[in-house]
Amino acid sequence: MMVSSGWMCEDGKVPMSARPQQKLASPPALERRPLDTNTLKNYLRQMVMVREFERLGEREFKNGLIRGYYHSYAGQEAVGVGFLNALDLNRDYVVDHYRDHGHMLLCGMDPKRIFAELFGRSDGVSKGKGGSMHMYSPENHFLGGDGIVGGGISVATGVGLALKQQRKQGLCVCFFGDGALDTGTFHESLNMASLWGVPTVYICINNKYSMGTSVERHSSLPRLVDRAQGYGISTEQVDGQDVWATTEAAERIFRKVRNEQVPYFVEALTYRYQGHGIHDKALNYRTLEEETAWHERDPLKLLTDYLVEEKIASRDQIEALRAEVVGELEAKVEAAKLGSEPQPEELFQDVTL
Amino acid sequence: MIVKKAMHEALNMALREEMARDERVVLLGEEIGPYNGVHYVTRGLYAEFGKDRVIDTPISEESFVGVGVGMAILGQRPVVEMMRMDFSLRAMDQIYNHMAKIRYMSGGRLSVPMVLRGPEGPGPNPGLTAQHGQQLSVLFAHCPGLRVVTPSNQYDAKGMLKAAIRSDDPVVFLEPGPLNNKQGDVDDGEYVLPLDQAEIKHSGNDVTLIGYGASVALCLQAARDLERDGLSAEVVDMRSLRPLDMGPALASLKKTNRAVVVDYAWQSYGPSAEIVSRIMSEGFWDLEVPVARVCGKETPLPYAANLEELSKPTVEEVVEAAKKLKL
Ligand SMILES: Cc1ncc(C[n+]2csc(CCOP(=O)(O)OP(=O)(O)O)c2C)c(N)n1
Ligand SMILES: [Mg+2]
Repeated sequence: MMVSSGWMCEDGKVPMSARPQQKLASPPALERRPLDTNTLKNYLRQMVMVREFERLGEREFKNGLIRGYYHSYAGQEAVGVGFLNALDLNRDYVVDHYRDHGHMLLCGMDPKRIFAELFGRSDGVSKGKGGSMHMYSPENHFLGGDGIVGGGISVATGVGLALKQQRKQGLCVCFFGDGALDTGTFHESLNMASLWGVPTVYICINNKYSMGTSVERHSSLPRLVDRAQGYGISTEQVDGQDVWATTEAAERIFRKVRNEQVPYFVEALTYRYQGHGIHDKALNYRTLEEETAWHERDPLKLLTDYLVEEKIASRDQIEALRAEVVGELEAKVEAAKLGSEPQPEELFQDVTL
Repeated sequence: MIVKKAMHEALNMALREEMARDERVVLLGEEIGPYNGVHYVTRGLYAEFGKDRVIDTPISEESFVGVGVGMAILGQRPVVEMMRMDFSLRAMDQIYNHMAKIRYMSGGRLSVPMVLRGPEGPGPNPGLTAQHGQQLSVLFAHCPGLRVVTPSNQYDAKGMLKAAIRSDDPVVFLEPGPLNNKQGDVDDGEYVLPLDQAEIKHSGNDVTLIGYGASVALCLQAARDLERDGLSAEVVDMRSLRPLDMGPALASLKKTNRAVVVDYAWQSYGPSAEIVSRIMSEGFWDLEVPVARVCGKETPLPYAANLEELSKPTVEEVVEAAKKLKL
């Protein structure tokens, strides 16, 4: 019953009792290839940071500092941690969708500047003009969140093609949700990527819902990999709760894509804890049983339990780490609040040169 | 009986009444079923009419607009929701090349009695940002073969949506996002309103304020503010962008000789440009001074609160523009 409650996002919704395990549509977890202690500790810190960032962000939304949209990544951390740590961000690039805060942090972007953007400050990632869904950091090779479902998929195909033409041995990773498989651009892009041998890895984060619509209600086939298989590219499902699994898949897939200059499609099976966005409170489209089952395989919990069982860290040490990360993030929030709003003349800057 | 309703409730009444009246009326769109629509317009309809009449679509805008076209050709009356009008950009091929043109291309042998509807512009909530709060009305209004209408209040919303559903032409029904949650009077009885007629929403003698959709609310507030300063403004609600009914605006100009056109859309090439151009060719000799315009600033919709406010047309700008014309 150890559901490290501080890390469960939905206050009051934290599942407290052991419930029947949700059956994943994925194959049983692979034999865990051991990851070294430092890597695991680093992963834990990253996951905690992403989880806590979202908690603070939602708090500041409720405090009125953030407006418009807020899509929490809580629950999906093992996907970002596994895949983004395996990238070489000196040469690789990331194209993301709107659920982007966690990915930006994992690409090494400064939480202060992300908060500043969320607060609409001129020292934000996009100078206060983009907001939650529209942040870009060329230095970090992070080429945007995107507010249009599927909007980044062809862009990521172009990024991959450019990398190939420039012979940089780089690859592009593109994140999107299960809902994006229903866009024409997904299918058009995979076809081109296969035709031209584009080194782009398309990572579908299947969190079971496209807004309030379950995969069963929006997808003709329940296994999304099956829908990507008509384009002659390699595909696979990954357990997105298990950071060992995502790490193993990421390293293997990236090696292949880099060496063979081919695209790849991954379906990462995971769950979002919060509503679609901050305004989606009802969640009447899913059951407490289902939520509970997923919380029991919480990516942070799986990692924590392992660290404790293997005596790599004690629960107290892990709690101390969490407190430390929260302290750091709180300082970033405060620092971001000090930024000024954009000057009026900035309204017309950066429309065109 | 007149009742107070939010804009989305007025639209909901129209859908419910038309669905009950005509079983060919079928709704398609994202999250319009059990989720009840992100802007609440389809609330309760799934429970009432079931999954065959309220069809939740995948995120496949181009194709479910096309599905609407196909259904309409065979005599169904599809009402297709864009969660936000911004997403209709994905469906532009179906809108421009199929929905709009099939009547003409078939020499009038086929018609496409469908409605494409959804909210546009920077609202109801703030912070919609660059890809979700655009006012793209001109894209539809530019295209022959479509009827393009937009209500400015709850009463018109209901009567015009009912008329749109009954129209044998394809209708793009633009809902003013900023007004989605605003309350006003609606008649809960049966009525339909014309789809091609502008209307005076407030009468006055000194200056004519011309708007459509959400900008009419700015004009009405400006008219009240101007009254305090001793200026009497007449407010014209265009209601239809295609066809554009210039009658009431031109008649108004005959007495005021001055006009301000107010539009949330970008100024260049926008609906305001067409309205000014019609005034120049049809009402030039009634003008005392050049027509003024207050429009959305020509930038993507920015996120920061202060920049977002600066980017939108405001009541103050309308008041100021009107006063300048009277100097
Ligand atoms: C073209 C387009 N249509 C509709 C929307 C509205 N919308 C935003 S997110 C979303 C659901 C997407 O779900 P999914 O792809 O599974 O990603 P998740 O939110 O689960 O991460 C919808 C319908 C949009 N942003 N763009
Ligand atoms: Mg999803």
